[in-house]
Amino acid sequence: MQRRTRRGSGYSEVLQDDLEIMPLMNLFVAMIPMLLISAVFLNVTVIDMKAPPDVVDAGDASGQNLALAVTIKDQYFVIEGRKIEKQVIVRSDEDAEDQLAGALRDITTRFPSNENIMVISQPQTSYSDIIAVMDISRENGLPSISLLGAE
Amino acid sequence: MRRNRRARKPVNRRAAPLRLTSLMDILTVLLLFLLKSFVVGGEVVTPVPGVDLPESSSETTPKSAIVIAIFGNNVMMDGELIITVSAAVDADDMYIEALAERLDAAREKIAEIARYRGDDEEFSGRVAIQGDRDINFEILQRVMYTCSITGFENISLAVIGTS
Repeated sequence: MQRRTRRGSGYSEVLQDDLEIMPLMNLFVAMIPMLLISAVFLNVTVIDMKAPPDVVDAGDASGQNLALAVTIKDQYFVIEGRKIEKQVIVRSDEDAEDQLAGALRDITTRFPSNENIMVISQPQTSYSDIIAVMDISRENGLPSISLLGAE
Repeated sequence: MRRNRRARKPVNRRAAPLRLTSLMDILTVLLLFLLKSFVVGGEVVTPVPGVDLPESSSETTPKSAIVIAIFGNNVMMDGELIITVSAAVDADDMYIEALAERLDAAREKIAEIARYRGDDEEFSGRVAIQGDRDINFEILQRVMYTCSITGFENISLAVIGTS
């Protein structure tokens, strides 16, 4: 910082009064590469799941296990399980995903202790369709998802 | 005479100060942006080139795991082609021999590293599948089946978080 005062003239003149920003610049230059390395530009998350069992568990005799399953067929979503009336949703409907969400929400309301669901897919079922059904299941209170293949 | 005086006028040799304000503005904005995207916990996962991950509302952060990528006609593990999708699907058996061999080798490697480090932690059997959104379930099922048979039972599916 430099300051010159003209004495006797009745006023002072500041010629140069710069902030010393070099230490701050040094800090920025050090921090930016570090943050660039650890920056996440694409938010990759995961869906944890169980491996498909060799044989679907038949459930316990007391009937506690709901054995809730959503089967993804070419044309339909089929919801079935113990104590649950079988529901078929036409996939070509515009609100098919909303219907599926509503049906699963009803089941969760009726059986709040159940958190399990099996997503049963056909060999040609698209991976993105499976993920979409898993999302709907999780968002409607069924976070424990198993992925199985149709026999 | 007047011209000579002008010529002799002393030149201001003071160095012109560098104007850093605009640079500081850029750096401040960049710093704030990077701080926002900074990950404190969890594992930073980069999608394998060529894989177009599906979008999902899942918020579960990934953990360190062996990565198997399935895209196009390729099944890759740790950046190396293991088998083609067509070869895996055409086989009668759900079990993919080539993948199982690589998984067994990876498990031995993990156990060896743990032994050197004196780590008593139990084998986690964690595997992350990075599947392209266009793949079919038949290849995914075979990969998952092989993983579970070889002891990698903690399977997670990598997706792009939308939330």
